[in-house]
Amino acid sequence: MNPFARLRLVRALLAAGATFRAFGWGALAGLTVMLAAAAIDSYEALALSTRSELRFLALAAAVAVFVALLWRDRQVWTLRRVALWLEERDPTIAYALVTAVEVGDAGLLRATRPESWTKRARLRALRAPLAPIAATAITLVVLLLLPSGAVARIRAPRPGDSIRGVASRDPSRSRLSPLAARIEPPPYLHAAPSVVDNPMELRPVAGSVVVFSGQGSAQGILAHLNAESFAASARDDGWSIRLVAGGRPAVARFTDRSFERLVVINSQADAAPTVTLRSPAKDSVLRAPTGRVTLTADATDDFGIAGASFEYIISSGEGETFKFRSGVLGLTQPNATLASLSATLSLDSLKLVPGDIVHVRAVARDANNVTGPGIGTSETRALRIARSGEYDSLAVEAAAPTEEAKNVVSQRMLIMLAEALERRRPRLARDSLVGESRSIAADQKRLRRSVGDVVFMRLGGTQSAEEHSDEDAPARAKTMQELLARADSATNKTIDPIDFQGGESPVVAVNKPLLEAYNAMWDASTQLEIGEPAAALPHMRRALVAIEKARQAERLYLRGRAPQVVIDIDKARLKGKDKGSSATRAPIPAADSTTRSLESRLVHAIELSARSASAAVDSLTILRIDALADNATFAAALGSAIDAMRRGRGVDATAALAHARRLLAGPSIVRDSIGRWSGVP
Amino acid sequence: MTAEFVFATAQYDSGDWDSAPLLPANIIDTIARYTEINVAPTGVVAPLSGARMLRYPFLYLTGHLPVRFSDAERRNVRQFVDRGGLLFVDDHNHDIDGVFHKTATEEIARAVGPLVELPNDHPLYSSFFKFDGPPTTSHELNGWGDNLVHKHLLAVQRSGRIAVLFSNKDYSSEWNYHPDSKRFLSVDNTRFAVNLVVYALTA
Repeated sequence: MNPFARLRLVRALLAAGATFRAFGWGALAGLTVMLAAAAIDSYEALALSTRSELRFLALAAAVAVFVALLWRDRQVWTLRRVALWLEERDPTIAYALVTAVEVGDAGLLRATRPESWTKRARLRALRAPLAPIAATAITLVVLLLLPSGAVARIRAPRPGDSIRGVASRDPSRSRLSPLAARIEPPPYLHAAPSVVDNPMELRPVAGSVVVFSGQGSAQGILAHLNAESFAASARDDGWSIRLVAGGRPAVARFTDRSFERLVVINSQADAAPTVTLRSPAKDSVLRAPTGRVTLTADATDDFGIAGASFEYIISSGEGETFKFRSGVLGLTQPNATLASLSATLSLDSLKLVPGDIVHVRAVARDANNVTGPGIGTSETRALRIARSGEYDSLAVEAAAPTEEAKNVVSQRMLIMLAEALERRRPRLARDSLVGESRSIAADQKRLRRSVGDVVFMRLGGTQSAEEHSDEDAPARAKTMQELLARADSATNKTIDPIDFQGGESPVVAVNKPLLEAYNAMWDASTQLEIGEPAAALPHMRRALVAIEKARQAERLYLRGRAPQVVIDIDKARLKGKDKGSSATRAPIPAADSTTRSLESRLVHAIELSARSASAAVDSLTILRIDALADNATFAAALGSAIDAMRRGRGVDATAALAHARRLLAGPSIVRDSIGRWSGVP
Repeated sequence: MTAEFVFATAQYDSGDWDSAPLLPANIIDTIARYTEINVAPTGVVAPLSGARMLRYPFLYLTGHLPVRFSDAERRNVRQFVDRGGLLFVDDHNHDIDGVFHKTATEEIARAVGPLVELPNDHPLYSSFFKFDGPPTTSHELNGWGDNLVHKHLLAVQRSGRIAVLFSNKDYSSEWNYHPDSKRFLSVDNTRFAVNLVVYALTA
């Protein structure tokens, strides 16, 4: 073998030896850390997070030692240093090997015996890892001697294994620590159980079974929950208590002789599904009960929807007689937290008749068989089948004209007839003229009666009886004065209706235009009766103007004088000088009894913290549970304070406690300036 | 003309000229709030038949009933406009073809000239506050009234300035409340009155 090749073989042997040695010492370092952690954990159970960190610390120690030793022995990879190592052990080489390596001439090594190099190197490589391997073996033996599970809790820490270690032999110690809680969700959730080590607060779903486990005898260990007490039962190597999470947050208080431990069971309710009906988007009226209606809806639930469907109710009938039919469509069992529903409602198959109303909604149920089932429904849409004859229309029936408006039209028509008759007068015989003129006169009389009715109705009386009797009866009012006198008698006045003292009365003022029209019509009809339409026309036109005037003056505004408002210009411009007046300082309103109670307990707990931090934490924990229902914001702030106090040294809970107390006291009142009550000028 | 601006309500013989009795005080309050105009703290009533109405640069005329000017009223209105005054006529009926609208527009046409639509970009709408046209009133929008939105005001213009402004918007109802009640409004609905007065005093 070439001397250089032999030298490289020696280097490989030495490097292997150094590597094995470094690995051995590294493994020893890691195992030592594990051993120390397991020993400590056997004496005082370490937290899950601490054990996880220690596992990584052991690995880091092993790697660090391994790398450090490799770095220290890095010269073993150099041929020149390997040559020197051989020169040290074989002086007969007389530096020929180093010189040959440096100059690269193998001919200088003719006098050497390279066969012995390999032997030396092999011995060295075998001897180098012996010490660490022995030490590692000893450490392994010690690890095996540790109680069962001690190493496993360090090697593969998992929730709940803190109580698997050896129980303390000290009978005076509390059996409430370590404590593990196994939460078994209700079966309908099909969720895997979970375990929490040393729990302070659990958030199980309502109805979950929570099994608390600890070490030692079960004798004398009690759990108090919602005024009930539960005794611990023995299990394989410790005790356990089985509690059921109720619908409201509660505190489980564990007692062991004088020891006490609190665990908050903050139950989470299984919410009912939320259902949104997407289609139809709004209520509707259908003209005919035919066609298909597409139904779509979305449903969501926090844990899962067991079933969802559309429900419809058909109401038929009217008045007090109604019949109802119902049905279900599109039933699905998605078993998922989000579901989309769709179905088609065939109106033809429902045999609807006009007037029927179809109510549609989507319904989803969760699988909660403990506190439920939770049922969520969408809003209801109504599809109504229109009745015949109720079709929508924008047409508005015209209102009937007022009496005055009717009279305007009629009087205008009579004027037109009279004007036409007057135009034909030259061509007509006298008899024909008088006949047609009397016909117009009859209409004019009828119209006059109508105007008289309006006047009498306004005066609160009945229709003018005189107008419905024989026209020539002596009781008939033939003049405006007579009619006014009758109008006045209807309002119990006894004075002359025309000669009012102090001006016209409201009765006359309101009715005067119509009375004028009445009088003019009388004159017109008189002229028409004798066949003189030309003479009648001025009276007829006067009557038309009077009616028009009455029509336009229809609105009456009877009100008092409006108050005179004087604007303070400076005040409106904010330039006024307000002298101000000292206001009575109102005391801060007293807190309600619930808040007062919470505040008192908070103060007491804070005072307690000076003497016993753990007792204060317990008090605050119970206070937080009691506040959850009434004051969630305060409870949350209190939770932060409790966390800060539990973290202990280095964490100041003062700010969190002050914040919680401020929340109880309500918002601060901030003023930009000092009020006058302060006495500051 | 007086040294301070006096809000004058036109009184005419026919109809109900005083149908919006709280409006003057409310507008005076608005003028005081938003402008430095030297405004009198109370309004006055100016009969159209008397020469005193010529002392005021701005006249407000409203009512529900038919408007029929007497000869003296018609003559004074014509003279008021010729002398540069602004007559603001508001139909308290907020209807488009009611008796007030019909008779008042006839009288204005007879006394001053025919009314035409005022463009919504007229300087009136930017003389103080910016408007995109005549502000709508609740009577136009809430279905209580005729449910009509009048997009334009009507006006008679003289030499490029508005001489008579005619409104069917029924500002008389919209602004007829005590000024102390203004604090209940999120947006002051009388701001357009500032534009009217500022325009009357500056155009």
